[in-house]
This record gives sequence, C-alpha cells and structure tokens, in this order.
Amino acid sequence: MHTEATPAEADVSELDLVKQSQAGNTEAFDQLVSRYRTRVFGMIYNMVHNEQDAWDLAQDGFVKAWKSIGRFRGQSSFYTWIYRIIMNVTIDWLRKKQVKGAGAEFDDAIQLKEINPASRTVPKAEALPHERMEQREIRQRIDAAIAQLTPEHRAVILMKELEDMQYHEIAEALDCSIGTVMSRLFYARKKLQNLLRDVYENI
Amino acid sequence: MKTFEEKFTAWIDDQLSDAERAQFEAALPDRPAADAEKEQAHKLGAFLKEQLKTRAMANEEFFHHQLRGRIAREKADESETQSLPDLRTTWWSIRRLLWAGVTSLAIFVVCTFFVVREKQTQDQSQYLSQILNARVDPAVSPDATVSIFQTKEDRVTVLWVDGLKSLPSDYAAK
Repeated sequence: MHTEATPAEADVSELDLVKQSQAGNTEAFDQLVSRYRTRVFGMIYNMVHNEQDAWDLAQDGFVKAWKSIGRFRGQSSFYTWIYRIIMNVTIDWLRKKQVKGAGAEFDDAIQLKEINPASRTVPKAEALPHERMEQREIRQRIDAAIAQLTPEHRAVILMKELEDMQYHEIAEALDCSIGTVMSRLFYARKKLQNLLRDVYENI
Repeated sequence: MKTFEEKFTAWIDDQLSDAERAQFEAALPDRPAADAEKEQAHKLGAFLKEQLKTRAMANEEFFHHQLRGRIAREKADESETQSLPDLRTTWWSIRRLLWAGVTSLAIFVVCTFFVVREKQTQDQSQYLSQILNARVDPAVSPDATVSIFQTKEDRVTVLWVDGLKSLPSDYAAK
C-alpha cells in the first residue's frame, strides 16, 4: 500500500493529525482529507463510474469519518480505517442503486453459476487488435466489466490490484475474513478475465 | 486456507509458503493450465493498474470548501443537540411536575372540604340551625304552617305558627 506522503513523515504527523481531529480540530482533519482525497475519490470513481456520484460519496465518507473519528483507536492504519468507512458508504450506495435499478446483476449465486472455477481464460483468436481500440473504448469496456461484479467483488479486486493492499488490510476494510477476501478475489478475477481477456491480451 | 479458490488465489499472489506451494502445485490436476491461469491473472492485474490510473479530482478546493461547510453544520447541529436538555431529564421533570400538581390539587380539595365543613358546622351552631316545617291537622287547618327556629348556643327555640285557625288540644300549652 502506498501513501501520498513519505511513510515516516506520514506515520508521525498522521497520528498527530488524528489526535488533533479527535480533539475537534477541523484544520487537522482538513489536512487528513488533503492526503487521501485523491486516492479515495479515484477508488470510489472506479467503483461507481460517475464523477458526480464519486464526489458525493467521497463527501459523505469524509463527513462520516469526521463524525466517528473519536472512535478511531489506532489499531489499524488511518488509511485502512478511512477505507472501511468509504467502502461501507460506497457499497451501501451501490446496493441501494441495484435495488432501485434492474435485476440481479450482483447476485452472488448467479455469478457463481456463470463462472466455472476450472474454466480457462486463454485469449480468443477473434480478439480485436489493440491498435484499433481507442483508449476511451478500453475504459468503457473495463467499466462495463467491473459493473458486472458485486460491490464487494469490485472493492476487493480494486483494492488488491490498484491499491496493492494486503489480504488482511482488505479484510479489515471490508469487515470480513481473509478467506472471504481470497475467495472474492478468485471469482472477481475469473469474471474480469472472461470479460476483458480479448482486450488485455491484445494490447 | 481451506477451499480451492482461497489456495489458488494465494498461489497466484505468491502468498503461499514454500511447503504450501509445493503441496498445492503437486495437487494440481493440470499444471500447465494453472500456470496459464496465473499468467492471465497477472496480466489482468497489470492491465487494470495501467488503465485505471487514479482519476484526478476536479476542483479540489471546492471539494474542501464543501466538506468544511458540511462539517461546520455537523458541529453546529451537535452543539445544538448538546445544549438541549436531556430527553430523559425533561421527561422526569414533567413527571415530577405532574405529580406535584396532582398532589397539590388533592391537598387543596381535602383542605377545602374540611374548611367548608367546619364553616357549615359553625353556621349551624351560631345561627339558626334548623327550620322545621310541619303541617298540623289538614282537616282543621289545611294551610297552616309551623316553623321552628332554633339556636343551640342560646338554647332558644322559636315556634312560628302561620295560618292556624285553631290549635289542637294536644298542642295546647300546658
């Protein structure tokens, strides 16, 4: 996992900033937000694929973090803690959206039926050559593929592949077991491989 | 790690110990296929990392401004809530007030009852306590009325007779 400040500086001053925030210092909290807003926003954006929604969810997440910062005991890193809040807010939002919207897109049972754990994901011969595919189209393909994952599967694969978070950190952020993280990662990878193999194999 | 999925994921991410890896690889029915899977997973990871670069937030200052505003409102709401009396305390105050009112009312009613009763008793003893109306023989004096006024303190009784034509012999003064 990487942070935006140097690790030593970040660890020391981050703890101070957290303590000051817990004492009600909004300026200190503002600095914490400055450190993580870009990563938080980017993570949420990759999950919801809409800038305005990502903005609103980031706001909601940080406000929630402010309200509950008194309960942060430093047992995990602040980043993992804030990620937990952000993920809760985002996953709840995605689930509500799914209920309002159409169908059982995120139904785990359906997904497990669709994915054969033993299936191979070798590229198809008829894959499009990447030279003919514009960057925007690639992004749209990725967004569409990620949209087919459950909110939890999205969170797991994005945290693992983009944030390089460890299993235990992801488990902590999502409040689940490490085994669950690995299992979700397995199915999320399978799903994305099936949906995107023609893209990434030809780039 | 128990399930195949968990072991396979850990194997892909090189999270197995040497012994676990050797055991897992020995148990794989199709090693080349598994290796291909691993390669695919690594390609997917690299692809996602490359393509999903962190999206810069537009207008970060406004984001902070908006967030500060929301936090300020949260703080204001919080302090407002703290300044309000505790609901439980309020409830107890109201209850106590209610009980105090009921008790006061009861005391007032009891006192009033005794005061009025005492007053009536005094009235009766001090002034005329009893007026008795009686009719004498209706055959003789149909419209006759006899009233008795009595004052207990003075031990005086006045007998007022009105409309009496004749006094029966029984009533004659002896």
